[in-house]
Amino acid sequence: MMTTYIRIEFTRHFRDGYNLIFALLLPAAMYILFGNIPSYTALDLGAGNVKFYLMISMAAYGAAVSTVAIAGTVATETMQGWGRQIALTKMPPAVFVGSKMIVAATVAGISAAIVFALGAATGAQVNEPWIWGASYLIVLLGAMIFACYGIGVGMVFKSESALGLASGLMVFFAFFGNVFMPLEGGMLDAARFTPMFGYVALARYPLLKDMPAGAEMAPDPLWMPTANLVAWAIIFALFAVVATRKAKARQ
Amino acid sequence: MQTLIKTEAVSLTGLTKTFSTPRSKVEAVKGIDLQIPTGQIVAFLGPNGAGKTTTIDMILGLTQPTSGSAKILGLDPQQAVSSGRVSAVLQTGGLLRDMTVKETVTVIASMHGKVDRITEVMERTGLTRIAKRRVGKCSGGEQQRIKFALALLPDPDVLILDEPTAGMDVMARREFWSTMRSEATHGRTVIFATHYLEEAQNFAERTILMSQGKIVADGATAELRQLISGRTLTASFPSEDQGEQAAAFDPSVQITERNGTRFAFQCQNSDRFAAALLGEYQAYDLEISSPSLEDAFIQLTKDAS
Repeated sequence: MMTTYIRIEFTRHFRDGYNLIFALLLPAAMYILFGNIPSYTALDLGAGNVKFYLMISMAAYGAAVSTVAIAGTVATETMQGWGRQIALTKMPPAVFVGSKMIVAATVAGISAAIVFALGAATGAQVNEPWIWGASYLIVLLGAMIFACYGIGVGMVFKSESALGLASGLMVFFAFFGNVFMPLEGGMLDAARFTPMFGYVALARYPLLKDMPAGAEMAPDPLWMPTANLVAWAIIFALFAVVATRKAKARQ
Repeated sequence: MQTLIKTEAVSLTGLTKTFSTPRSKVEAVKGIDLQIPTGQIVAFLGPNGAGKTTTIDMILGLTQPTSGSAKILGLDPQQAVSSGRVSAVLQTGGLLRDMTVKETVTVIASMHGKVDRITEVMERTGLTRIAKRRVGKCSGGEQQRIKFALALLPDPDVLILDEPTAGMDVMARREFWSTMRSEATHGRTVIFATHYLEEAQNFAERTILMSQGKIVADGATAELRQLISGRTLTASFPSEDQGEQAAAFDPSVQITERNGTRFAFQCQNSDRFAAALLGEYQAYDLEISSPSLEDAFIQLTKDAS
């Protein structure tokens, strides 16, 4: 039953296209724009070059936004009565959520893969080949914490436009999470507490890990981004649970 | 020794539901006891807010009762639903606008594990023609037909319909009930909520009247109509005087409506009065009607409140 559901979910998302343009093409377009400014992108950075760094950034942004958009539909569709329709079949609600997560992870995976492929084609480089795989996996797995965020926002506002808002907020999180451009000083200190900081810092860690502390762009110690990611995962999960309970009670 | 146990299709005992909000409590269902034997076709009739939908939600296990219990075919609602023995056409929402008709049916069929019934059910509910259309582009009547198809997929023993014809025009409604009629065979139990009295009258053998969270009347649909005794006779007269004279035929005769020389009477012995009207009082255009369920309903809900 799950495979049929997942198949039709994909058909729907690719037919509508609209959401997918943001999820798939925007990060790719941003990488092409920012990743190919010749003055600095070919410079060495950590175990690779600046292009590799930017590639990770844009892939992380794309994966997270796709996850939010698709996971959020769990909430909006449940509230539109589709949840009641599913409740009348033998499929448990957990399988519904699980199917959506698989779809979300797949689209996030495609989104990140497009950016990585563009990176590979345009000169993103790293000395140790395993860093390609490790960065990609961290981008993909870390994006999953934003599924709870999407579900929570969807449950609170119940409309599809709320998901637009949720995705829009992600741009804000990305700026203040040190994703799009390197922050400095007080801004960077504040950024360490925002939801995308830990995620993108972890994804960059394999690239930057051997840089001497104190060097420009050197990574924080590993525990810092990890703590950030875990904390936000818990916050988002609680948010999703509370929002779901409230929404169901009002039904 | 052999014991013959006849399982009730639906059995409700002391069922209540109270919705609590921080500011107030709303008692949507105030205690319902009800047995529906298998194979019966039953109408839940009542105005909006009577508690019909809440009761149905509890029968289907979509809402937990505050107290009391609901059993379907002797099973807990969730069990009955997951084994596909009961299914329903829900009133609110239920469909995703950007799916096509075929996709919607396929998805729900796969959740039931009844993919082999897709073609048959779509054919029977007249959806084959619009299979590729998006749900959002379907008319209200077509969307109700899709929901009906979804309810038929598990081939249920008990079929529950919550205002299945809401938002349909007269033609669509007629078409819907004729499809419905052919599905209500082979001992299938059908329970439908409606506020169209006509639908209860034409389709249900038993009618349960609900008002303000309680059952105010329950019986054979024909019997309920008898609750208001007597018949209404409507006739035209050559002059108004003759109409007034006819009202003096016997003490039970009462004028209920008059419009020029056309009079409506209520009386106990309609046959004799009718004969007298046509003979003695020179009436013409005579119509004899039994009271509609609507009259019975107004009477009963008035009594209950």
